[in-house]
Amino acid sequence: MAEQFVSKASEFKDGDRQIIRLGEQEIGIFKHEGNFYAYSNFCLHQGGPACEGLTIAGVKEHLREDKTSAGLYFDEKSMHFVCPWHGYEYDMFTGEQVADRKLKLKKYEIVQKGDEVYVVA
Amino acid sequence: MSSPKAAAKAAPKAARKGAPAISAEPSKSEKAAFLKAMMEGIKPGSLAAQKSAAKKEPGAKLLGKVPKAKAAPAPKTAAAKPARAASNKAGEGPKVEILRKISGASGVARTPESERAFALAKELDAALVEGKIDIIQAPAMQALLGALCRVYAANEDAGNRYPILAGRAAVTGTDVMIVCGALLKAVDLQVFELGMWQSWAGR
Repeated sequence: MAEQFVSKASEFKDGDRQIIRLGEQEIGIFKHEGNFYAYSNFCLHQGGPACEGLTIAGVKEHLREDKTSAGLYFDEKSMHFVCPWHGYEYDMFTGEQVADRKLKLKKYEIVQKGDEVYVVA
Repeated sequence: MSSPKAAAKAAPKAARKGAPAISAEPSKSEKAAFLKAMMEGIKPGSLAAQKSAAKKEPGAKLLGKVPKAKAAPAPKTAAAKPARAASNKAGEGPKVEILRKISGASGVARTPESERAFALAKELDAALVEGKIDIIQAPAMQALLGALCRVYAANEDAGNRYPILAGRAAVTGTDVMIVCGALLKAVDLQVFELGMWQSWAGR
């Protein structure tokens, strides 16, 4: 496992991502709220570009005391990314498929040294 | 004595008898292997990974086995980039190739007015959750909606076109129909007039 230079951290704004090829691997690197997350770009469903689709917060529902709905809302504490091929949705913090947490994208470690970002692969 | 035709018919049957029976139901070990493969996902370098890459790049060939990537060339000026050279030595691993950069949604305020607009939107959403629907008085709502309509239309006319709602806005179809209906009524427009204008203006 070696650290491979990816990019300058200053080139990564919050919410940005990069898709890189590293030998035989394709990796999606996300920057979300100041933290980096990196996962295999091959969707567990049919191998689609899992990290290239929509990023969206988890949808939850406000319930009043009598259990009637006060509307849906986006839970900013959770963040998902969605494979653009068939909509497999993954948790950005863990790489787990949100409908079945047993399914998990391969996670890569990201190391930041000063202004440089490295992926460990 | 059998005819040649009968012999020809019998031959494939005999061959099928000798062949292993094909079962529609996979065996337990096959099912376990399938589940294991699903859990592990697509391994880089596997045939499935190649197929996926070939789907994205129609020109790519399936080789059956991916050749090892070439070793990364040594940095030209090791002294100039000591940190990178230390971590990314020549021959230590494959080279990083950036395939694409995807910019995040611009939910960041770049003007003081935008910052105030974000704060107000957040405040209104929070009040709505608490059931305080009268947090904004009718005249204030009218002034705000009117100003937003004018500013959005001016941007549209100037060619600065963008979706009126962000992808992450939790606005339902019913919300939109209520507001659009009220806006049309406020300026005494009928839905068919909107339809006509849209078809004439090509919007």
